[in-house]
Order: sequence, then C-alpha cells, then structure tokens
Amino acid sequence: MRLLALFIAGPALWAVLFAAVYALHGIGCAGLTGPESLGGLWRLVMAGVWIAGLGAHVALLRALPAGRGGADRWLPLTGGWIGLGASAFTLFPVLIATSC
Amino acid sequence: MTDATQGAASGGPDESPARPGVQEAEELAIPRNPPRPALALHRELHRVWANDRGLWGQLTAVNHTTLGLRFMGTALVFFAIGGLLSMLIRAQLATHDGAFLDTELYNQIFTMHGSIMMFLFAIPMLEGLGIWLLPKMLGTRDMAFPRLTALGYWCYLFGGLIMLTALLFGVAPRDGWFMYTPLSDATHSPGINADVWLLGVTFVEISAMAAAVEITVTILRQRAPGMKLTEMPLFAWYMLGTSVMMLVGFPPLIAASVLLEVERAFDWPFFDVVRGGDPLLWQHLFWLFGHPEVYIIFLPAAGVLSTLIPALCRTPILGYNAIVAAVLALVFLSFGLWVHHMFTVGIPHMALAFFSAASVLVAVPTAVQVFAWIGTMWKGQPELKLPMYHILGFFLTFVMGGLTGVMLAIVPFNWQAHDTAFVTAHLHYVLIGGFVFPMMAAATWWMPLIFGKRRIKGLGEAAFWVILIGFHGTFFIMHLTGLMGMPRRIDVYPDNPEWVWLNLTSSIFGFVLTIGFAMFALDMILQATLGKRSARDPWGAPTLDWAMPVPSTSYNFASLPGPGMWARVAADVVLPLARGEGVLPGAPRGRREVLVTSVGGARPQHVALLPGNTALPLWLAASIGVFVLLMLAGAYALAGIALIPVAVLVWVWGRGLAPAGDLSPVEAAPGLRLPIHHHARPSLSQSGLFALLVADGALLASLVFGLAFLSVVTVGPVPAPAGGGGADTVTLLAVVVAAVALGVGAAGRAARRRSVAWAGVGLALNLLALALLAVVLGGLDDPTRHARDALRAVLAAYVVVHVLVAAAMSAFALDQFRRAEITAEVAGVLPAWRHWQGFTAVASALVAVAVIAQAGA
Ligand code: HEM
Ligand SMILES: [Cu+2]
Repeated sequence: MRLLALFIAGPALWAVLFAAVYALHGIGCAGLTGPESLGGLWRLVMAGVWIAGLGAHVALLRALPAGRGGADRWLPLTGGWIGLGASAFTLFPVLIATSC
Repeated sequence: MTDATQGAASGGPDESPARPGVQEAEELAIPRNPPRPALALHRELHRVWANDRGLWGQLTAVNHTTLGLRFMGTALVFFAIGGLLSMLIRAQLATHDGAFLDTELYNQIFTMHGSIMMFLFAIPMLEGLGIWLLPKMLGTRDMAFPRLTALGYWCYLFGGLIMLTALLFGVAPRDGWFMYTPLSDATHSPGINADVWLLGVTFVEISAMAAAVEITVTILRQRAPGMKLTEMPLFAWYMLGTSVMMLVGFPPLIAASVLLEVERAFDWPFFDVVRGGDPLLWQHLFWLFGHPEVYIIFLPAAGVLSTLIPALCRTPILGYNAIVAAVLALVFLSFGLWVHHMFTVGIPHMALAFFSAASVLVAVPTAVQVFAWIGTMWKGQPELKLPMYHILGFFLTFVMGGLTGVMLAIVPFNWQAHDTAFVTAHLHYVLIGGFVFPMMAAATWWMPLIFGKRRIKGLGEAAFWVILIGFHGTFFIMHLTGLMGMPRRIDVYPDNPEWVWLNLTSSIFGFVLTIGFAMFALDMILQATLGKRSARDPWGAPTLDWAMPVPSTSYNFASLPGPGMWARVAADVVLPLARGEGVLPGAPRGRREVLVTSVGGARPQHVALLPGNTALPLWLAASIGVFVLLMLAGAYALAGIALIPVAVLVWVWGRGLAPAGDLSPVEAAPGLRLPIHHHARPSLSQSGLFALLVADGALLASLVFGLAFLSVVTVGPVPAPAGGGGADTVTLLAVVVAAVALGVGAAGRAARRRSVAWAGVGLALNLLALALLAVVLGGLDDPTRHARDALRAVLAAYVVVHVLVAAAMSAFALDQFRRAEITAEVAGVLPAWRHWQGFTAVASALVAVAVIAQAGA
C-alpha cells in the first residue's frame, strides 16, 4: 500500500497543482481582468504557485526513501519524475501565453 | 514453519502481518501440500463452486467465469445492434438526398449508435474481460465481490434493454452521444427521449462502478501468494489503471446526468443561462468523464497487447517498468485533457495552452508503449498466428488514428476540422484500431480456454482481411469528406453533390466491413461447436490463466499457485495445481474460499469466504429498474416509494455477510494457518469500501466543481440573488456537522469497545443530524430560482443521503449486537460504519462551508 502511495505521489501533486493553477486562472479571468490585472500581478501569483509547485516536486523526489533498490526504488522514483515533468510541461504557459 | 508464514498466521483482528518493515524483503516460501487424486478434488470443488442447475441456476449465478462471459456475450449482441445502426447511417449518407430516414429518426440512430458502442459495447466488454480473466491470471478462484458482479450484470442488461426498447418505439435519445445542453434540455428536447439516455446510461453505469470496485480490490488483494505488485502480469497493471480511472472518471458523468435529469424533471436551472446556469457546465462535466473514457477503453486493449505480443514472440516483454510508468502517466494525464473537446467554445487563451500542452504530452506514454511492443517483436521471433494478424491490424490503424489525433490537438487545425467527418474518421481509427482489433486478437487467443476447442483453419484469416479492407475503405475516405467540409451528424447534403461519390464508396466499404464482422462471428461459432478438442495451454503461454484445464472450470484452480508455481511456463504447473499441491487445496469445508494477500508483496493474510449462488442481485437490479422506469414515466412520487424495496434489499444484502458456520483458522499449506476473514482486517470489504469512497469523493468534487464553475467562471446575465440562508441556516449547518462528527467518535468507540451503547449514541446523533437537515432544506432558497440555489440544494441532498446511510449502518450495527453477531473477535459492520461516518463528516463540513460561502456571496 505504501509503495503504491509513493508511486502515485508525484502525479497526484501534478493533479493538485494543475487544478490550482487552472482555478486561479479562472478566477483571474472572471473577477479580475485576467492575468494582466493588478498590473500583471495576477500572472506573478500564478507563476509563483507554479514555481512553488515545481519546488514541491523536487522536494518530493529528494524525500523519497532510498528503499532497497529494485522495484521499491524505481516505482516511486519514476512516479516522482513523471509528476515533475508533467507539471513543468503542462503549466509552463503561465509564463508565456496571452491571458483570457 | 518459515518466518514469513508465521507472520501471516499470527495476524489477528486489527493486526497486519508481523514486522511490516522486513516482510517484503524476504522471499516468501510456502511448503507444498501433499498430492491428492485430481478427480476427487475436482468433484469436491465443483460441487461448491458450480452454478445451480437449469435456467434458475443461470439467474442465481455469481461465478466470475459465467458472468464475465455473459458480459462479453451481451456486449457482442449490442455491438451487432450498434453495427446494424451504423449500416443504416451509411445507407442514408450514400446519396446526397438521403435514402429513407427522416431527420428525426436519423438523429436517433446516430445517437444510439454512438451511445450503444460506447456504453453498451466497449465498457461492458472490457469489464467482462477483466472479470473473466483477472482471477485466472492472478491465481485466485473468483472476484472479490461475486454478488456485486451479478448486480452489475443485471443493471447493465436492464439499462440496455430500456434504451433498446425506446429505440423500437421511436423515442430514443437524439441529441448526439454527448447530449449537449441546451439541445437536450426540456425546452428543446421535450418528450422522454433525453430522459431515456440520462436514466438508462446512469443505470448501466452502476455496473461500471461495481466492476471498478471489484477489479481494484481483486488485483490488490487476491494475487497468488508471492506475486509481488511489481511482478504481476502487465494486464493486471493496465486493469488497475483502468479501474481507478473508472472510479474517478464515471462520477462526473453520473453527476452531470443527475443534474440534467433533475433540471428536466423539476426545473432546477443548472444549465439554463437565463437563471444563472451555464450549458458549458454540462460540457465540462461530460468531458471530464469523456476523455478519460477514451483511455478507459484503450488501456485494457493495450493490456491485451502487452500480454499477447511477448507470448507470440516467445520472449519476455521489453521494458516492463517503462510500461508500468506509462500506465501511471496515462491514468493521471488523461484527467488533464478534457478541455480539448471544447476548444471551439471560447475558452481563455491560457487555458487553451494548458490543455493543448497536456494533450501533446499524453502522446509520450502512448509512444513508450508502442515502442515497447515493437521492440519486443524485434527482439523475439514473432509467429504469424491468427491473433498476430489482428495485432498488426491494430498497429496500422491505431498509429494512423494517433496521427490525426495529434493534428486535432493543435488548436488552429481543430478549429477547422471541428464537427466534420474528419473527427468521425479519427475517432473510429482510434476506437476500432485501439479497441476492436485488440479485442479480436483477445478473442482468438482465449477461445480455447473458453470452449476448450481448436479453431477451424482459414476462416479467421479471411475475416481479418475483409475487416481490414472494409474498415480502411470506409473510414479513410471520411478524412477526405471531412476536409472538404462535410459536417458530421447531417442526414442529407443536397447542395454538395461533389461529396456523393466519396460517400457512396465509403458506404460500400462499410458493408464489406460488416460482412467481415459477420465472418468473424461465424468463425467463433464454428470453433465453439465444431472445433476439435484443444490441448492445455495451446500457445505455450507463461501466464497463470493457462495453468488450468481447458475449458476452464468453475473454480479455476484446485489449489492456488504458491511462490515458485506461477513464474514458469503455465503448462508445467497444471498437474501439481490440479493435484492440490498448491495453497488452499479443494473445498473440504464445503464453502467458497479464496486467499487474501497483502497489497505489495502478496503475503498470505487470511482466507475470505465468498457468498454462493443467490438471486438477490437480480432482485436488487430489478427493483432499481422499477425506480428508473417510474422516473421515466414521470411518476416521481411513486418513484420515491420504489426506493423502499431497494433499501430493504440492500439491508438483506448486508445480512448475507453475517458470520456463520465454522470460524476456526484454516490450514492453507503445511504450517500455514490463516484466520478467516471475520477475524482478520483489513478485509476485502474494507478495501472495497475504500475504493467506493474514492468514487464518492469524486462525485462530491464534481458537484463542488459545478458550484465553483457557476460562481466564478460564468459571468451570467443574471446576478445571483442575495440571501439564501441567514444566521439560522449557518447555525443549523454547524450543528449538523458537529453531530455527524461526534458520530465518528461514537462509531469509533463502538468499534473499539464493541459497545452497544455507543452504537446507539451514533444512531441518535445521525437521526438528530437528519432532523436538522430537514429544517435546513426547508430554509434554503427555492432551487428553481437560480442555478446556484439549485446546486446548493443538490449538495445538501448529497449530505442527507450520506447521513441517511450512516444512520442505517448504525441501526444495522445495533441489529447485529442484538443477534450477538458482533463479538470480541468479529467486528461486523462496525469498521465500515466508522469509515463511512468519517467520510460523511468531512463531506458535510465541506458542503456546509460551500453553502455558507455561497449564501454570503
Ligand atoms: C461497425 C463499424 C462502424 C461503422 C460503419 C460506424 C459508422 C459511423 C458513422 C458513419 C458515424 C457518423 C454519424 C454521423 O456523424 O452522421 C458514426 C458515429 C459514431 N461512432 Fe461509429 N461506426 C462503427 C463502429 C463504431 C464503434 C466500434 C464505436 C465505438 C467503440 C463507434 C462509435 C461512434 C461514435 C461515438 C460516434 C459519434 C456519434 C455521435 O455523433 O453522437 N462506432 N459511426
Ligand atoms: Cu479527448
């Protein structure tokens, strides 16, 4: 059970981060005038959350128990990397995309 | 006795096997049982595991082999019906002014074609495959919850029949398989057509949820002893991914269907723009299900490929670990793509970029698998047997579908091709390439295990070629008509005679395709009836599903394969297993026993006693069916009353779990004594409850998403009316949450101390919460006034249902105390109640916050 939990930790973090940034974006586009509102501050907030999330991914990768090698090690590790890669790739538009 | 077995055997109530840190590291060793005459063992087991005789025996069957095959057989019938409808579609489109269908009927036909293929063919087919195959492959005798298997089947059958009957009477759904609002709302779709879809599909999805729960638990807890999670057959990994996706992916669809049905029935305006609703909410919820659905269909097919390709190439699969990682990535990523179905509705740019990126990224794990398969074929010596034909057909077709998929993921191209025949072509390349071809490979592969017969040479290959040519002839052309601008879902195109010859060609090939499928079916029938007896493991496959006689028996394994007995060529272990040398041989106690093992290392933990043949699932499904029919008829008050028999039957169902007979530990192998499940935790039911709560949480999340979406993203023309629950509502809700939370404490104490008094307190607290909730509901604003009022009411109703169940569980516990079924060793319903109560407490707190925040806003 623990092994499974570690396995899905990375992707689960991606899911939370993706949902959070998407929600922030939604709030930005509805209540405010989009990421450029508050003098571009909103985009900064979103990017901040994203970067903090990437930090959390890295921390997760480092915190993974070394295990006894073999599957006990690779399973959580691949999970961790998949999560980091997914967060980096799917959310990088916070930096470049035009807003609403 | 080895250390390992000692650890497992000493596991009493509330105690997992000893020394959890160390146990997974040591190799598990279980001594063999002495051999016994195989025939005597067979008779003993068959008496216990077989279905009852005659027609009644078919109605009361709960056996996974029977039901898995029945699921697949029924799915094939629906495939034939769906195929027949597609022939009507192609006949209509063969000429520009339409052959014979009017628009109304045409709409019903393509809607039913899509809905049947997705909900009544593909999903039940993969459920059936999992139910039939997994216990055999993992080395156990049945699924974790046999009665649930049967319940799922009957719900599927009845729901499907309701939809078919509607088609016969010309009142079938007609708004496309994704039922977009406002087209499907009460104004634009009067009559019961849309209700048939909403209620029928939801009814059928009970079987999806049941299968998802069972498959998850069976894979995690019933693997042969010593079959580590990280070494189990890849098919099991794929099915684990699939079932988890079903647990999370179906609730949004169920939520959406319930909301739309309530809107149609009671005028609660969730999707009505005039009253603060938003049709896009439907699209979000639908595709939150709909995209994962594509992978739910694809993953089991990929699991089949990962099983067959190495076996047919006589080599282990290349990149086991990479494939497991790919499955993990797919399971998660596919929940971040849904918006790519909505690229044309005016989604903000940045969101477009997120979802476009995710859609591109998801190609990576798919590619990883394709490369692993190709590499395996490269490394091994592929044999061109019949299943391999279909595997090659898969490669050709699926890769082309993947390419057009990447094209559609690019936003500007999507804007061009959206809603044209190009999309129809793409989706059939993916669905037929990615699902139907692998399923045909699977069918030809496992036929000997199903019927014990060899096939008749020649016909299968001919069927394959006809299908391949027919398929590409039909659908390749639709790319072209799509690019020429032909929209999907049109019944005539009088102004575009230039599309005619392409469409006509496509239709002719469509009939070729149908002939191919008919030949395939004929081949199966001939094999089942006229084929010669097949040898055991005719393919020389390594997986445990072949380590049994052909055709397979009602109990699968006379003794369960222990460590060292499952990792070889399957045929080698058939005899020792049949002679009872494995674990838990025979059925000496005259009851259905399976071994329950730990999640990671598959250490034996306890022996579960499974229920035998019963008609209860049939009655329960039938009573749910009555409820559905009354809802369809618009007799809402009567429908409410029809829920009473449903509740009674659920109670009876729970009573069936009571401990009975000899509860002493069981000697599964020399020196390996295991407690039975009443004395051991976590039980299968507990794992099942956990899986169910995951789905329940996803349902709640969908509703909360809806509320958030309506409050934040939609800038409707109508502001939400203020008010909605003053100070009293807030106080009342706070008290409700407190009562339910105190109930958690009561349930916990009742469970720990086996205390009747605390169970009584729990019941009282839940009843108090219900009474207060009734007042809260009365005080909420009129739900027909505004979409957010409606969603608040739905959330409150969600809590009511959960507290109601919690109250019923505490009452059930009191009843168990009265019957002296709860003892120091046997916890009965108490642990389940405690978990349910805990979930309800968290959920009601969340809902209270949401409702109060909304009222303030
Ligand atoms: C047996 C061969 C099949 C043929 C000849 C066929 C043909 C067609 C055609 C021509 C349409 C387009 C209707 C229109 O837009 O006007 C269509 C729609 C569709 N098909 Fe198939 N199909 C076949 C099998 C399948 C299978 C196996 C699946 C799924 C597993 C499937 C799922 C769908 C779906 C979801 C739609 C969209 C329905 C809608 O627009 O609401 N089809 N099919
Ligand atoms: Cu999609």
